[in-house]
Amino acid sequence: MARFRLLADEHQARSPLRQLWREFARQHSAVAGLCLFSAFFVLAIVAPLLTPHGPYLQNDNLLLLPPSWSELGLVQYPFGTDDLGRDMFSRFLVGARYTFGIAVITVLGALLAGLLLGTLAGMSKGVKSSIFNHILDLALTIPSLLLAIIIVAVLGPGLLNTIWAIMLALLPQFVHGVRNAIAEQLNQDYVIAYRLDGANNLQVFSRIILPNIWERLTVTATMALSTAILDIAALGFLGLGAQAPTAEWGAIIADSLDLIYVAPIGVALPGLLIFMAVLSVNLVGDGLRTAMKKRREN
Amino acid sequence: MTLYLLRRLFLLAFVLLALSLLAFSLAYMFPGDILQNLTGLRYIAPEQVAVLTTEYRLDQGYLAQYVAYLQRILSGNWGLSFASQQPLLQEIGVLLPATLELAAYALLISFFAGIPLGIIAAVKPEGTLSKIISALAITGYSIPVFWWALLLIMLFSLGLGWLPTAGRIGVLYEVKHISGFMLVDILLSDSAHRNDALLNALRHMLLPTLVLATYPTTVMVRFTKDSMLDVWEQSYIKTARAKGLNRLQVLYRHGLRNALLPVIRQIGLQFSTLITLAMITEVIFSWPGIGRWLIDSIYQRNYPAIQAGLLVISTLVISVNMLTEILHRLFNPLARKR
Repeated sequence: MARFRLLADEHQARSPLRQLWREFARQHSAVAGLCLFSAFFVLAIVAPLLTPHGPYLQNDNLLLLPPSWSELGLVQYPFGTDDLGRDMFSRFLVGARYTFGIAVITVLGALLAGLLLGTLAGMSKGVKSSIFNHILDLALTIPSLLLAIIIVAVLGPGLLNTIWAIMLALLPQFVHGVRNAIAEQLNQDYVIAYRLDGANNLQVFSRIILPNIWERLTVTATMALSTAILDIAALGFLGLGAQAPTAEWGAIIADSLDLIYVAPIGVALPGLLIFMAVLSVNLVGDGLRTAMKKRREN
Repeated sequence: MTLYLLRRLFLLAFVLLALSLLAFSLAYMFPGDILQNLTGLRYIAPEQVAVLTTEYRLDQGYLAQYVAYLQRILSGNWGLSFASQQPLLQEIGVLLPATLELAAYALLISFFAGIPLGIIAAVKPEGTLSKIISALAITGYSIPVFWWALLLIMLFSLGLGWLPTAGRIGVLYEVKHISGFMLVDILLSDSAHRNDALLNALRHMLLPTLVLATYPTTVMVRFTKDSMLDVWEQSYIKTARAKGLNRLQVLYRHGLRNALLPVIRQIGLQFSTLITLAMITEVIFSWPGIGRWLIDSIYQRNYPAIQAGLLVISTLVISVNMLTEILHRLFNPLARKR
């Protein structure tokens, strides 16, 4: 019986997404990053269900309890308690919601806004887009921390206000990315062919441009996510973002800084968590970039 | 090229104008009295109010006020700081060089460490050495700067006691402010303890510079490696190899020159992140620079200082951005032609 092979290579017959995953899964570091990232993501959603104690519950009898591996520690409090008798472990768990979860929401917000503005800029021509670009250049030059300081000065400190600052600081790179990608796509022959078929702007955008740029957007988003986590933590640490009782990792470090000799774990562990969260995001982003590059080469 | 430069200059003027507009409107957006926010005077006597209102043209429209504001900025009258009641421009003149010094040394380190490491990593991309460098780079890229600073302080200053934790120089030394750059000022001074002071300043400088250099160095490593790998696959490299040049010659004459072009551009793009990191580093190491001053200003609700800080820092970042872009053009004949 003769065997027919319609396509030269089995792998090339797979959908682009499948091919991407194949290349992605070949990199061990990227897969490890993805596992870590998923763990943080799940933790950010279910953290309140996992905490053994209330993260804000103060226990007068158990102030500054050492971690459970020391002789004075209690097994119910794996990482001990802080100077107000709050369970450290619960606070670390809930912190994922603030530092990691809010960073994800911030990036999603910036991504959507960037997609909208970038599309408007990319689809329009002439003076309008030129003015728009120059305003963006201005926004790009203000460092994110300075932007946060200004917004805090106008609106007052708080997690929500700094989120606006971080979103604003992230926005330009999305708008630039979307605009450049769209400009590149609009020059392609298949866009012209589709237009000749009678497609309007909306159809060109949703059927051709969007499927072609989403991968690049994902890579930009991972880079933005690592910036967002670092910024939220840094602002919490400086006391401009999340305020004192909130169990945000950066704010916990600032809280425990004066007790660093008595309870070094309050500084060491939240920092490690921030580092792991950012690392997982960066590993996934790098893996995606490499996978995209390899797929294109094939 | 001339046309390009003119266009860049025009853009610079436009962005600076928009920036000054933003800074001016902040005086209205900040809480408190507009006259206080603009002058920086904490207590204004009732009889002074009328005089100042006319001087700042607050009785006229917004446009006249803005023009008056621009005139004041250009003539160097930036108002007073709420906290110290000193002229802002004078304060910034003392603080800015400290920040610039820190950022400049960090950038230098990132050049001399990051670019060679990136090249080494690109030579054998699948080798062990390259993997170690990449792993280090992604670690440095992911570490939160304030935590990294705290770790180093814990280890080197408190644990081992090798290095001081804070400040620019020991309190025993008195260095006259000439250029604002500590090392230059020490070298310019003719004190008998010049060498001691230099050593002391270097010891103070080591940790903050290392902390601040971490991020740009890793960015350099990543970008040099990526762009090196890109260039290495171009046909002109193959041509050069085929003509009989050895690896080093190809690397220097054809590889490096092309691979470093995107890296130059990256410096400009990353500069605003570098300033953000410098501000955090300054807070932790009590470095008397403009970043710590700005963060103190927000704690003290020192609105005129924030306004002035915005102007100075953004102008700095814009200028560096422009400069790297123009340099990129100058070095890249392909971009120059377009």
